Order: sequence, then structure tokens, then C-alpha cells
Amino acid sequence: MTLREEVERSGRIKILFFPYGKREWFKKGVCIFDAAKALGIDLSSLCGGKGTCGKCKVKIEKGMKGLNSLTEQELKHITEEEIEAGYRLACQTMPTTTVSVYVPERSRIGKQRLQTAGLEVLVEQLNPFVRKYPVKLPEPTLHDSRSDEDRLLDALNAKYNLPTELDLNFEVAVDLANKLRDADWTVTAVKWKNKIIDIEPSDTSDRCFGFAVDVGTTKLAGFLMDLNTGKVVAVAARMNPQIPLGEEVMSRISHQMLEGQKGVEELQAAVVSGINEMIEECCEKSNVKTSEIYEICCVGNTAMQLCFLGIYGRYVAFAPYPPVLRRGVDIRASSIGLVSHPRANAYYAPVIGGFVGADNVAVILATRMLDSDEICLALDIGTNTEIDLGNKDLVMVDSCASGPAFEGMQIKHGMRAATGAIERVSIDPETFEVNYRTIEEKPPVGLCGSALVDVPAELLKAGLIDLTGKFVSEMAKETDRLRRGLKGIPEFVLVPQPETATDTDITITQGDIRELQKAKAAMRTGAEILMKRLGEKRKETVTESDISKLFMAGAFGNYIDPENARTIGMYPELPLERVEFVGNIAGTGARMCLISKEEREYAEKIATTVKYHELAADEDFQKEYLDALFFPHKNLDRYPDTANLLRRLGRIK
Amino acid sequence: MSRKEEIFERLRQAVILGETEECAKAAQDAIDAGIAPMKVIKEGLSKAMEVVGDKFENKEYFLPEMLLSAEAMYAGLELLLPLLKTERAERKEKIVLGVVEGDIHDIGKNIVKAMLTAAGYEVVDLGVDVPASEFIEKASEEEIGVIAMSTMMTPTLVSIKDVEEKLAKKGLKGKVKTIIGGGTVTEQWRSKLGSDAYGKDAVEAVDKVKTLVEEIKEAVKLMERKRKKRGSQAGECR
Repeated sequence: MTLREEVERSGRIKILFFPYGKREWFKKGVCIFDAAKALGIDLSSLCGGKGTCGKCKVKIEKGMKGLNSLTEQELKHITEEEIEAGYRLACQTMPTTTVSVYVPERSRIGKQRLQTAGLEVLVEQLNPFVRKYPVKLPEPTLHDSRSDEDRLLDALNAKYNLPTELDLNFEVAVDLANKLRDADWTVTAVKWKNKIIDIEPSDTSDRCFGFAVDVGTTKLAGFLMDLNTGKVVAVAARMNPQIPLGEEVMSRISHQMLEGQKGVEELQAAVVSGINEMIEECCEKSNVKTSEIYEICCVGNTAMQLCFLGIYGRYVAFAPYPPVLRRGVDIRASSIGLVSHPRANAYYAPVIGGFVGADNVAVILATRMLDSDEICLALDIGTNTEIDLGNKDLVMVDSCASGPAFEGMQIKHGMRAATGAIERVSIDPETFEVNYRTIEEKPPVGLCGSALVDVPAELLKAGLIDLTGKFVSEMAKETDRLRRGLKGIPEFVLVPQPETATDTDITITQGDIRELQKAKAAMRTGAEILMKRLGEKRKETVTESDISKLFMAGAFGNYIDPENARTIGMYPELPLERVEFVGNIAGTGARMCLISKEEREYAEKIATTVKYHELAADEDFQKEYLDALFFPHKNLDRYPDTANLLRRLGRIK
Repeated sequence: MSRKEEIFERLRQAVILGETEECAKAAQDAIDAGIAPMKVIKEGLSKAMEVVGDKFENKEYFLPEMLLSAEAMYAGLELLLPLLKTERAERKEKIVLGVVEGDIHDIGKNIVKAMLTAAGYEVVDLGVDVPASEFIEKASEEEIGVIAMSTMMTPTLVSIKDVEEKLAKKGLKGKVKTIIGGGTVTEQWRSKLGSDAYGKDAVEAVDKVKTLVEEIKEAVKLMERKRKKRGSQAGECR
């Protein structure tokens, strides 16, 4: 008997909710709606679970056979197609075996906060690869019987003095004769690089669009761009539909390994469908036809590159983690099912290494680190955090498995940044009262990443945890909030139950603190090792005072309190005014590469010049990591301001 | 408290608090006082590491404390082990430990090594990125061999499967037992990959290894008995 069977026999089953990644054991026969509520999942409902409103539609991804049959109420609300696809009403469905439940966007109350804004970098020259050239051709006569193709190319060269030799795509040539004559010889040629990819009737030169995509492991962000102005026309965001196939990059690669070609195709189809939905949404919002999108430019990590292009990625996951392709890749968008002009190009920006992808190229591109005289540090925080350090002489990068703790995973009351998530926390060091703020000021459901930075910092300042991260048990005398929870492990009550939107207190446990320590220490170690190794290359030590700027990238980076992040030692102690939040920089990079040939060339240059350092193989890794596990760091000399603060508060001598 | 007990207590405190020098000093004092080294290890170092393990389990101790304690324990062992000549010559089970091929994350493995060592096992540490053949070669050399593998990543779980398949091919399953652990490893994965045991942390790993060793011993005994029986039957015929 497997463990799962054993547990199921004992009357408990596991329910997994996607795209949240939440999972919990429940009594057999629990209704999915109640399970969702218990976990603080923002499942929509008007009737409160009576099966009359039909709002709580969910898709059963796995475990179909353990469900009760469709109820009458369900048949009223669910179409045949939906039944086929595995949809049920959560409030009518009682699983008796372990199930995976996908909560579609429309069945969620609060939209997840999907950050799409990012640093706007002035692109010096708007110079997209796609250009439109309206032209009027002379009609053929007995004295001028040039081919239609020559007639067109001659006219374009005569009018626009185009530098490269033009090449008419054969698919365009097939229909060229009719197109020219139907349009009465006034047409617009659509050029991508030196290829004519379409001939459109009359002058359409004012309508030329492209689509930039940030292909995140968790989130997708899409930007409809006007290639005539370089401006954003519309923005859309989605959870990455690949999540049910694996929550993070390693599980996605594992999915490819386990399922083979089928898995490769599933992952590709999932991300393409997500991008297509965003394209359609943006086009609808702004009255643009999808056929007016002539190029799609994607930026994401290396695993996403593989999934997007449909490449088998096994070896990226094994030391020494080589990527399959480093250069930027051009493919026809329609060949992988992207909705756009039939001959639109899709470009995936270059990657640096197996764990440092095009998203990190975008960080360097947008922050201009590689042009800077002064040394800059950049942190792109996610499940994997990439760290860049350097200036115009040399930029080095490493990547660490910081884990999903700051995304609310593996944290007892952790959640993603959605409605009801606590996003800010402060603790009164005298009374230990907790002040908090939630997203959209709804009753608290759980803690999202920014609060998970605040909590350890505040506990530390209040003397509730010590520098090793351990709860100070004597403080239980001072406040009831500090108590022993499950298995006698200490926890601190942040919000007592009557105030919460769930049926339990919201706490932070000793185990949670340990997870956060591991995550922040990984990031800090990444920075420390780079400071050492860059110093060796520069033949001069690189210290905190040499770092003129810290760029914090990533959606999460934008919401965190920089001082609290510093107090827990997430990054080296720099004056706070040197910290700059740059937001979703992969999106910025994708837009830059879409609208500028020069930026795209620069991205290619970054991918070949930035030096990757393998962190886990560094001889000092273990020592530095162990030192970085402390709050803020084992060596307090490296954190003089934080040490002073703690001294003033009487936390250290 | 007797003099002996006093030294044991000093050793235990040194390990629990991660004081390397004090641990070495106390170990030396124990040797000078003529206490049997095996007893010093068992009563001092091993007991202390059990306490450390418990503290880790209930989250009071974390990785740095754990590794400091391990360091202190190793300092004591360094002095005590060479004196265990006679006992060492005895048939002894060996644990062949390493991070699987394709992975290089080894902090967890190092903690498991410390806990196994403290529990009295001889650990052969193969390091990181260890090919399947190396695990098998080393473990099959031993009379009683357990392979302990760890990985932090999901894709490298296939490297565990590789070891299991190669063991089966060579007909070594049952004679060599395997235990797995690490960031992404779960009980579900264990049954999928075909390993003999899963340890959710270093403390549980020690308990599971104990069971595996007992199982191998039983199997070896059974085989010996069969062999003897066959031998005596053959004798009768003659």
C-alpha cells in the first residue's frame, strides 16, 4: 500500500488548488467549496454554496473518478463542453480521493495582483524590425512589362532608398498579382528585417503593432505596442497556465522528462494559450486586429525559453546546467500557434546560462549596468533569484535557489499577493500589538511576500526572535501572542481568528522563520560570493561602499519595505537611498527589444559578455550561506546601521 | 557526579553548544582518564548529537547550530577513533553517502553525515554529483552496505532511479539497501523510484538506516543458514 492509499483509507484526502499551489488534507467527502474557504482561496460565490448561482466553477485536473456524480444544480449551470473539460461547481463536489482543482480566473473574487509596470527606459532610437512602406506603383504598360515583384521592389527602393536588398516572401508572391490590382496599385509593404512579409491594400502605415511578453514562471505579462510610436497601447496579465504541470521551473522540466514529447508539447501549448489570451484581450481593448501584430518579442528565464520553443530541457537541470541555445531565437509565430499576423516573427531574447535567462539579460539591458562607471548590484527576486554585480569593465552574475518562501509557499499562512493578503506588518515593541494592512483592505486571509519580509524584521526589533532566528521563549511571559503550536513548536499570533477571513488564527511559526532565513540567506550569499569573485577579477576588494546602486527587480521587489529587507539581511547593508526599485524588468526588456534593433543587438552582446558564476560550486558557498542565515548576518560588522538600531532597542549589547 | 560522568557531561555540553576546542579538550581528558573510547563516543558525543537532532526537529536549532555541533563532534572523534583499533576491525556496516549525479547541493548531506557518524556508523562520503556506478561499486564492496542519496532538485530524482535500476540489474537489491532524502524528495517519490527508505530529515534518516541495517543483517543470516544447510545436506550425501 502506498502512503497515499494508506492515508486515504484512514479517511483523509488531499486537495490541491491551482494556480495557488495550496494543498491540504481534508476529511473524505468534504465539499471543495468548504475546502477552498478553509484555505483562504478567493473562490467566487453569490449563493454561499447552495449551488444556485453557478459562480464557483472549477476544473478538476486530477482525481475525477473519486467524485460524486453531477447534481441537478450543476447540470443547470455547466455546459456540455464544460462537463467534457472537467468543470464542476465547487459547492456540489465532494471528492473521496485526492484531487487537483484548478480555479479559473473568472471564478476568483479578487484578481491576483499581477504587476506589469516596470522601469521605463528611454530607448534612444525607435527602430523596430517591422516597418511599413506605403507606395504607389505605376501600372504595367507595353513599354513597361516588368514583373509585379520587380515593379514593387523597384518602387520601394526608389521611394525609401532601403539599405538592404529586399526579399519578397514567396507566400506573399503567390497572391501578389491580385493584391496589387485589387488595390489599384496603391499598397503598403510590411517589412521585417529585409523580408517583405505582406502587401496590404491602400496605405495602412499608421497601423503597425507588436506584442512584448514577459514569460514568467508564475505570471505572464503582455504589452501591445504601437511600433510607430514605441508606446504601450494595452497591457494584460495572466497566471502562467503551465502551473498545473509543475509549480516551478524544475518541476516543469521534470514534467518534460516524465512525459517525454507529450510533456514538451503540453507545456508549449499551455504557455502559448496564455499569451494568445493576452493578445486577444489587448487587441479587443484597443480595437487592433490580431493580424496587425507583426512581431512578438518574449523575455523569460531559460526553462521558459525551452518550454516556449518546445525544446527538451533535461540537461539544463543537471550540473553543470548548460542551456541548449544561448542566442536569441527567431521563429514564425504561427508555427507554434501564436495568434498574430500569419507571417509574424516571434523572437525569444538570448539567455546567459541554464539558470540565468533572458529575464536577466533584460535586467542588465534596462539598468544599463554594463555602461556604468560605478559598480551596481541587481537582485531579481523570485523562486530563483539572479544576482548581478559589476560595471562597464565586467558584470558577473550568479543564481540561487531562494525557493518560493517569499511567494508565500511553504509558509503556514503564506499566500500569493491577492485580495485579503496581509502586505504590511508592524509590531509595537512595547505592547507587541500587531498593525497590518491587507490588499484591498479586505479581512486577512494570509501573508504575502512583502509581509513575510516585515514579520521577521519586526519580530527581531521587538526582541521576539534572536539573531539566530529562534523565538525567545521567555518573551511568552510578556505576550500571549507568543505560544506553542503544533508539536510544541513556537509560533506568534499575528491576527487572532475573530479578525481573520479564515477559520484559524494567522500565525508565523518557527518553521516559517526557518524557511524565510533559508531564502534570504541564499540571496545574500549570492551577493557576497559575487563581491568576492568580482574583487579577485578587478584585483581590488569590492565592499558595500563600492556599490553605488542596488536595483531590486521582480514583481515582489516592488512592494517590499527596503529597510526591513535590509534589517533581515536580504542584501548587503547599503544606504537606503541607493536602493532603486525597477519592477517587472523582464517586461521592460521585452518592450525594448521589440521596438529597437539596437537594443536587441545589445541584448545579444550582454548574453555573450556577462560572466556566469556557479554559486553552489563555489568553495566558500557553505560558509557564507551559514553566516547569512543569521539576522541580519553572523558578522554584525557588515551591518553597522542595523546593529546600531538593534542596540538602541536593547536587543543586543 | 563521578569523574567519568563529569567528563561525559562536558563532552555533551561542548557538542550541544558547538564548542570545538572544548570538545577536543574533554575528549583528551576522557582518554587520559582511561575511559574506554567507545563508551566516550556513546555516552558523550552520540547522546549529545541526539539532543541536537531533537532541537533541530522542533526548529529550535537551525543549520548553523547543527553544523557547529557536528564540527565539535568531529573534533572529539578525531582523537577517539584511532584508539578504537580492535573494535574497528570487527565486521561493521558502512553507509555510502552522496549527492546524486547532476546535483551539487550538499549542506543537507553533510548534516546527515554528522548524524550517522554520531549514531556510530562508518560513513563513506562520496561527495557531490556522484555517478550511480560509484555508489554501487562502493556499497557492494561492503558486507553490509547502505546507499544514502540526496538531491535538492526535482529533475535529478531520475539519478536515484538510475541507481535503483542498476542495483536491480546486478541482482544487488536486498543485499544493498537504499535510503533517500533532500529538498524535493518525498515518501511518494520513494515508492515511485523504488528506494527502500525515505528520511524526511537527518534525524529520521538515522532511524531508517538502523532498520535497513537490521534488515540486511537478517537477510545475510538467512543466506548463511541456507548455505550451511545445503553444506550439511551435501555432506550427508557423501
